[in-house]
Amino acid sequence: MQELLEQLETLEKTANLAASIDHVQEAIDMLTAARAKIAADAQSAPLTLAKMQDPLKRTLEAAQKDIKPIYSGLNKYGKALDKKFKDKPLPSASNDALSSHPQLINRAIAMHLLREGEFGVASTFVSEANRHPPHPEPTPNTPNPYLDEPWEKNLADGTLNSEKLQKQFVEMYHILHELRQQRNLAPAIEWARERSDILEARGSNLEFELCRLQFVCHYVGHNPSGVDHDEVMGDLPLGPMVAWEYARSEFGVFQRRYAREVQQLMGSMAYWQNVDDSPYRRYFYNDSAWEEVATSFTREFCSLLGLSADSPLYIAATAGAIALPHLLKLQSIMEKTRTEWTTQNELPVEIPLPPTYHFHSIFVCPVSKEQSTDQNPPMMMPCGHVIAQESLDRLSKGARFKCPYCPGESHPRDARKVFL
Amino acid sequence: MAELTTTKLNAESHLILDQPLLRMPYELSRRNQKTAQRYLENSTKDILTLSTRTAQRAPSAAPETTLASIDTMISKMQGLKRKMSNLESEEQRLHKSTRARLQHLQDLYEVQSLVDVKYDEWSRIRLSRLLVDYLLREGYQESAAHLAMSTGIEKLVDVDAFVACHKIEQSLREERSTTSALSWCKENAKELKKQGSELEFELRLQQYIELVRQGHEKGIGGQDVDMDGDGMNGVSIAVGGGRQGGGEQKLVEARAHAKKYLSGSGDFGLLGRAAGLLAYRPWDDVEPYASLYSPHRWHDLAHLFLTTHHTLYSLPPRPLLHIALSAGLSALKTPSCHSAFTASSGAIASTTTSVCPICSTELNDLARNVPYAHHTKSIVEPDPVVLPNGRIYGKQRLELFNEGAGTEKGMVRDPVEGLGGDTWLEGDVRKVFIS
Repeated sequence: MQELLEQLETLEKTANLAASIDHVQEAIDMLTAARAKIAADAQSAPLTLAKMQDPLKRTLEAAQKDIKPIYSGLNKYGKALDKKFKDKPLPSASNDALSSHPQLINRAIAMHLLREGEFGVASTFVSEANRHPPHPEPTPNTPNPYLDEPWEKNLADGTLNSEKLQKQFVEMYHILHELRQQRNLAPAIEWARERSDILEARGSNLEFELCRLQFVCHYVGHNPSGVDHDEVMGDLPLGPMVAWEYARSEFGVFQRRYAREVQQLMGSMAYWQNVDDSPYRRYFYNDSAWEEVATSFTREFCSLLGLSADSPLYIAATAGAIALPHLLKLQSIMEKTRTEWTTQNELPVEIPLPPTYHFHSIFVCPVSKEQSTDQNPPMMMPCGHVIAQESLDRLSKGARFKCPYCPGESHPRDARKVFL
Repeated sequence: MAELTTTKLNAESHLILDQPLLRMPYELSRRNQKTAQRYLENSTKDILTLSTRTAQRAPSAAPETTLASIDTMISKMQGLKRKMSNLESEEQRLHKSTRARLQHLQDLYEVQSLVDVKYDEWSRIRLSRLLVDYLLREGYQESAAHLAMSTGIEKLVDVDAFVACHKIEQSLREERSTTSALSWCKENAKELKKQGSELEFELRLQQYIELVRQGHEKGIGGQDVDMDGDGMNGVSIAVGGGRQGGGEQKLVEARAHAKKYLSGSGDFGLLGRAAGLLAYRPWDDVEPYASLYSPHRWHDLAHLFLTTHHTLYSLPPRPLLHIALSAGLSALKTPSCHSAFTASSGAIASTTTSVCPICSTELNDLARNVPYAHHTKSIVEPDPVVLPNGRIYGKQRLELFNEGAGTEKGMVRDPVEGLGGDTWLEGDVRKVFIS
């Protein structure tokens, strides 16, 4: 990259059109001067013009010569570029599964824009895409894209009319904005309360986390609504008092699930004078709490819509960039050895993705080294070891057999299908 | 250790998708330089002849004439200067955008790890770039420009170049006009010749076909004016005027056109077929002439133009987004993504993992046709345990879920089934060994 930057530097500094333009201006000056002279004294015309010939020619030639450094500068830059990308060919069009589904790609893009909060761009795109529907191109797996199964068309039509989705994401960004910028928990709590049942069924702590943060806010006296509490009750200062009131009115529903946490929060009341030094400090001085709550809110929000928390398009494109070098290498090896790719359903090489890109558990049978599928599910033997169904059949041949991993013996009918 | 190898970022090999990013402004710069050179050369020749001639005639000519021709020279030079200045500002724009692009790529070299937040930012910019590229290729220019502006990556994308390209493509496809495509060919004549491009020939052939078509449609006197029913059949050939006329003229024009532009090709088979058009009319429906007359040829021309254009600017034939996505979909896809059974790790019921991007609505259908990733080792959550219904979970995640869902002490629920499902005694949960 350094090399290219250096070449560009030369281009910017010296090899540009400025010099050439200067020379053109010089020629113009020369002509204007000659004109003035002739206009003043018509007799001098032949001489002035004759005198001008040579300098004019020289100047114009100089102007042409000024272009040369640009030419050679660009050439050098081009060579550096070639060198940089010599071993990085443009990926070829092999194995194209996407050209036949432009509708689906468009839908993915529209959803991506919405979830990234680019509502303006999204609406431009949706209206433009509706005006000019894309042209599917045939691919090996889908030779007749126009005759596609109806599910695809319905789906694509359904979500490009994206108002509903947009409304949902507008709501999400509104709540997030209130959370992050205004430190206002009210909209988030309201959202979570409306979906209390679903969240609880998912085992989500979101509602409680939000309320707990609200409690802390009251306690330390942060008050986003700006309502004044003038009266001081008892001898407790205002903050903890409000928090206490809040807990009494709101925490009732959490008693069953979060009894311990609620007790802890209440316990902090005893330390109202010096929470800093108390064991409850971690609740009250946790700067990342807001960000954590916001992230957890985003995740829950998207999950309830059946969407992943981060844009799938982003994750897939990034994973693709990570995978490409490996795929290219594979391609060149296959070309060299003239081998074909035998496993149509599975990539022939392993692509090392960072652990954050693993979203499912994966079972690779330790005997056959194949991944489990619906047809070849993982089976657990009574000893607790797991192998794939096909391996089990092959090892046991229907009779008692020994586990390949431990001395345990069992009958294949005792093995149980498991789900990862 | 394994983690280190999978998260290490090798910037050098990571740039595969980014070659067009630098190629485009480079090609544009070269074109810019060549245009400047051409302007200069032409004007120089022009001015110098003009100036010699003026000098020669000056002794005998009236002063006004001399002054007038000097004025012409001055205005010509000023015109040249204006053009050059335009090219210069274009040059500066290109330099700036090249610098921005190099800097953007350089940024990647400063990131060491794929899990770095900086890589995340970089990759998001890249995705926006890929999206803009895709939108431009599909002809969604407004969206592309809007997205580029809203993500602040105008310098990293070539909206204008694509808009120009799209305009020419549309003029072929929709308006059925060869004018702008031909002038593009002229601008890039040298490179096209080097490439051995057939584009110009095909365009000229199309012009010829259209001339012939017009000729036939106007009618060569007497052959297909029967509907007039005026009994003038055969007579009008000599007359050549009136309604039937012009037909021959167009055909003559077509022949001249063919002689000028097509005869040099050397493909005698094709030339023979082209000549045959003079005899066969568009509605005769005789092969191979029918396919030459076919309106579908305009789409082929548009397509040929696009390929030629993309090759010239070193752009891949397919949108980069397709390339990145198909690789990414495969790398991420697992057999569980389209499985009939809900995967325990499918996360629908889990609070600690996020929904898999392939299972997410956006990509699920797209990923149907790509192969899934190859793995040589099982990847499971730590401390796997199995529930009586056969579902396997990481012990910690199971406990976390059950705490969150408020399951009674000593009992366990299945996260996938949620609150409506069965509860089991903790003792029924078994350890499972997965290697």
